[in-house]
Amino acid sequence: MKSVLAILTVVVALVGFWYAACVPMNIHEAAMQAQRAGEEVTPAEAPERRHMGRISLALKNTGLWSTVFSQERPQLPAPHQVAQEFWKTTWGMIERGRAFSKRSLILHGWITLSATLLGFAFGTALGIVLAVSIVHSRAMDMSVMPWIIASQTVPILAIAPMIVVVLAALSVDDIVAKGVISMYLSFFPVVVGMVKGLRSPDAMQMDQMKTWNATRTETLWKLRLPSSTPYLFASLKVGVAASLIGAVVAELSLSSNGGLGARLLAGSYYGQTVQIWSALFAAAALAAVLVWAIGVAQKVTLKRMGFAQ
Amino acid sequence: MKTIYGAVLAGAMAMGASVAQAADDVTLQLKWVTQAQFGGYYVALDKGFYEEEGLNVTIKPGGPDVAPAQVIAGGGADVVLDWMPSALASREKGLDLVNIAQPFKSSGMMLTCRKDSGIATPADFKGKTLGVWFGGNEYPFLSWMNKLGYSTDGGEDGVTVLKQGFNVDPILNGQADCVSTMTYNEYWQIIDAGLTPDELVVFKYEDQGVATLEDGIYVIGSNLEDPAFADKMVRFVRASMKGWKWAEENPDDAAMIVLDNDATGAQTEKHQTRMMREIAKLTAGSNGALDVADYERTVQSLLSGGSDPVITKAPEGAWSHAITDKALN
Amino acid sequence: MMAWVFGSLLFWAAAWALNVRLSRLSAPWVRFFVPALFGMTVIIVWEGMVRGFGVNPVLLPAPSAIAATFVGEIPTLWGDLVQTFFKGALSGYVIGCTAGVLTAIAVDRSPFLQRGLLPVGNFVAALPIVGMAPILVMWFGFGWQSKAAVVVVMVFFPMLVNAVEGLRASETMQRDLMHTYAATPGQGLRKLRLPAAMPFIFNGLKICTTLALIGAIVAEFFGSPIKGMGFRISTEVGRLALDMVWAEIVVAAIVGSAFYGAVALAERVITFWHPSQRG
Repeated sequence: MKSVLAILTVVVALVGFWYAACVPMNIHEAAMQAQRAGEEVTPAEAPERRHMGRISLALKNTGLWSTVFSQERPQLPAPHQVAQEFWKTTWGMIERGRAFSKRSLILHGWITLSATLLGFAFGTALGIVLAVSIVHSRAMDMSVMPWIIASQTVPILAIAPMIVVVLAALSVDDIVAKGVISMYLSFFPVVVGMVKGLRSPDAMQMDQMKTWNATRTETLWKLRLPSSTPYLFASLKVGVAASLIGAVVAELSLSSNGGLGARLLAGSYYGQTVQIWSALFAAAALAAVLVWAIGVAQKVTLKRMGFAQ
Repeated sequence: MKTIYGAVLAGAMAMGASVAQAADDVTLQLKWVTQAQFGGYYVALDKGFYEEEGLNVTIKPGGPDVAPAQVIAGGGADVVLDWMPSALASREKGLDLVNIAQPFKSSGMMLTCRKDSGIATPADFKGKTLGVWFGGNEYPFLSWMNKLGYSTDGGEDGVTVLKQGFNVDPILNGQADCVSTMTYNEYWQIIDAGLTPDELVVFKYEDQGVATLEDGIYVIGSNLEDPAFADKMVRFVRASMKGWKWAEENPDDAAMIVLDNDATGAQTEKHQTRMMREIAKLTAGSNGALDVADYERTVQSLLSGGSDPVITKAPEGAWSHAITDKALN
Repeated sequence: MMAWVFGSLLFWAAAWALNVRLSRLSAPWVRFFVPALFGMTVIIVWEGMVRGFGVNPVLLPAPSAIAATFVGEIPTLWGDLVQTFFKGALSGYVIGCTAGVLTAIAVDRSPFLQRGLLPVGNFVAALPIVGMAPILVMWFGFGWQSKAAVVVVMVFFPMLVNAVEGLRASETMQRDLMHTYAATPGQGLRKLRLPAAMPFIFNGLKICTTLALIGAIVAEFFGSPIKGMGFRISTEVGRLALDMVWAEIVVAAIVGSAFYGAVALAERVITFWHPSQRG
């Protein structure tokens, strides 16, 4: 209970900071609109205002503070504007029976979610296969592992368009292309975690398997894989978040079918800041739900497997 | 990983050629996101003009990361829309892009400046900061600056160039003195953002004598030798031009068709209707056939760029009237 | 043509056989030679496939073409590197990581705030912060400052979470010992809890190295001056100069690995006492 209160305090502080930041961020726009409406603004000349800092302009025009929270295209939208837009494009759409219209964040969230899950499945499978072969082959370990780490220094956004073009040349579906891009980000934590996990049985346990004359396959199935489960779930949590980032990035290059990334892009293109923020929050909510779902699966599985929690 | 990848890729490259021409499917790669700039194609799709020609057309929107020339090279599209400078530059890189039709007669490109930056004529650009799009769209600007004799590396005697993002923020925030705009799109975003036409100075590329051809229809040249493909393109161009002329006459309806096809749901009716009306001004006067005089002017402008011309020699075979001759008669 | 394909596949098989044998040895040079040979195999197979199947260079250039561009364009690549890495990524990394650690120390005395910050920080660290890039470019302008800002936002929360956890890492027994020494909270922090937090802090620092480079490059896609790695990549794709794009990617991989390596080296030197660094 105490931690709920603590989290709430932090969240309230953040929201308060956000509201406060709206004043200097939007004050230039507010001054311009006020001047158009014939109101008094200090200083009165637009070029003069342009060269002024945000904070000093805000301090000179305290009368305008009330207008900074309701602009149509603010530099920083106020939290309630984002919440309204978010509500309007999710529940509001459901109410009107248009949950899957193109203007609904539910549709875009769903598109991104499906690409994320596909990429997550690819990434997890690839990660586990790589980890198993790394643990079993010293040659794989020595030759591949450094390159796996190096692969993550390549900026994914840079190669995403090329992956898209090459896969389009192979006439692969767009969603698979997105999946491949998210796989690129999500396999990494799985490999790293699983290698650790598969090696986690101690010498005594390995010796035990040997005395039972277990084959390598048996050791893998009966000892290594079960004892790697806690590591697997920890990596999956990181992996699913990475996979979502990959899907959003992929949608910047593959915007034709919509998705939260395409929404971000279009919002940025038309200066619709409220829309950008609500897409960001939709992505955040999606990430939270996915990580939470894996957390639940983790608890249930580990409990059934008899790991102490 | 890469080894497997390479093998699969290479294998499919070999197959790609035979698959692409099997049916009457046509994939069109746009140059930018779904908007009224491509109204004619969406009208042709929506009104069944393509269907009447026996075509099953798929329209792929583009975006900032999508280079149409690369998409067509990869076999991701049969036909692409591109600007001529970029297409000719790709041609010099060894990609056999051929213009088969040119629905856009005039250029919509402008440089829009704030009056309070002290710019009244191109002579005032010196020492100023100008926003430009890159990724193949910078060529008309670079050849204009070359013509004016400005270096684009910054400094006293040149101009400082910014890579403009997807919006007009740099001019609104005062980060740039001028930004690139299209008559049909970004200019209106500036107006929507609150600046008035009185506060702005615009330099149209058309007026400055540096206009280049925009939004042409391009295909891979070697494909045209295949009569089946050429026939498909004839029908495609005919239906597309029918779509364009319909869009010119019914701009408001055309804008709504575009909105219906926008998968992101981010476009607004007001902006798209206005864009459609502005686009109609640019497509007016083209029946779809490339005007060779316009082509020559574009090539001259691109060749003339002082030390660093966009293309180094006059291209050959970069356009063909074969399709439009059949499609429009 | 096919000779290229089979030749490269043959090389692959031979190199792999050699690697399998070599990996059983324990000589120190093996640790470098084996991955290097593997990397070489990838490059040779890539070259063989591209040549053998005649892959269009606007889709995938051959490594030899990329190497030629790399050598020929070193001044441009260096200028881009300075702009993106030294100005954007590195300054953002330093500011963001410092701010993360300082915030962790600031909330150190308040378990209440820690309990609140940790889940919120964990949540934010999992978000697609990359989406903030267009907003930050709008706020901080087109220069390297906005790139640094993106990096700050990207690295702050992972760093904060690691530092907060690290500061809690010392054991009760050890803290009691400090107490019996009558250590002030400041001394306790300096002499016990900060050193004990170092493995966690370095974990955060290592994660942040890749984030920093990616953040700086991605931010350049949304507006930049006419230099920088992200700028070059996005514009050269449009110009179909894929060899240049790959040359930049090679630079990014080298610099990213070197950055990671440098932090890992610093970790070895500073946390030499930790079990993970021994043996």
